[in-house]
Amino acid sequence: MSVARTAWLEALLSGLDPAHDLLVAGLGANARYLPHMNVQVPYFALCDSMGAAIPLALGMALAKPERRLTALEGDGSLMMCLNCLVTVGAARPANLTALVFENGAYESSGGQNVPPVSVDFVAVARASGWAHAERLERSDDLLAALERGRRASGPCLLALPTIYDPTEPVPSYSERPDEIRANFARALTRGKA
Amino acid sequence: MAEREIGPREGARRIVGALESAGVTLVPSVPDTWIGWLMEPMRRSSRLRVLDVAREEEAIAIACGAHLVGARAAVVIQNAGLLNSGAVIGSLVQLYRVPCFLLVSYRGDARDPIYYHAAKGRATEPTLRAWGLRFARAQGPSRIATQIAEAYAEIDTTQEPSVLLFSAEDLA
Repeated sequence: MSVARTAWLEALLSGLDPAHDLLVAGLGANARYLPHMNVQVPYFALCDSMGAAIPLALGMALAKPERRLTALEGDGSLMMCLNCLVTVGAARPANLTALVFENGAYESSGGQNVPPVSVDFVAVARASGWAHAERLERSDDLLAALERGRRASGPCLLALPTIYDPTEPVPSYSERPDEIRANFARALTRGKA
Repeated sequence: MAEREIGPREGARRIVGALESAGVTLVPSVPDTWIGWLMEPMRRSSRLRVLDVAREEEAIAIACGAHLVGARAAVVIQNAGLLNSGAVIGSLVQLYRVPCFLLVSYRGDARDPIYYHAAKGRATEPTLRAWGLRFARAQGPSRIATQIAEAYAEIDTTQEPSVLLFSAEDLA
């Protein structure tokens, strides 16, 4: 069963801790929604760089082991950099979670289908050495799943079946790259204070 | 084709020392033969974490992530992988102005004895120019540490990425 993207995002945001959490959002709907939501933690929402969210978050996770990194990535975007699951599995950061929003579509570019194969990202993550991976069906289960992931002491991947609705009024990108970077740096500094 | 081993690898040790002195803590890397020679002393460093990466675009994004939270990284990849990485350079490094340092094994230049690297050797410098990336060729083991220090000083000043192309003889 698929869930509305905003329901996943609201569940995620309700459980974040400003003292610990950092978010990286891959390009597309997640990155476009976040500036319009009540996000209490530093976030870096990409407006390009398809496939880079998980590697970018991995760099942050390794450099800031005291922080918890959550990367929001789409299924099409992850297919573009599926090898990053292997890299993360080898690095085994205990502070990295990847949320994979599966809607079967390249939503940002007009809703074209991703390659028509039902990829089991949970199985790929497990086979690549991730400590915890599971597929969820209800947004109410997200926070508990995140907690299970943290207890696994290694990287965690959660697959989130997501409704694709071509009529959904996803906001436009509202921040320029310089602003995205500056806002992230400012929020990080605030978190230190 | 087997490659002839280089000498005492003093250049490789100097690279490690230069990265340590520059405050680098993370080295995401995809290997080739020359990088393998460089990584032996690199992995012995207590100050550098070598991160084995599956593909070069990832290595660059990982370095960008480290930089964005205040750490310093050095990407070590072959020029074949650099040539793969146009999208992440254009859409992450340059779009967000993340000043990463790339240490790139320069296969296929005039010093490379292996014939099948020639095509990517010919493409490397024109591609870097087309991308607008600042780059230099390493000038041998005696100069390479200085060149790395200069690259990081330039990065700090310009907030732009920098590429240093090295050959096997720079590691000797």
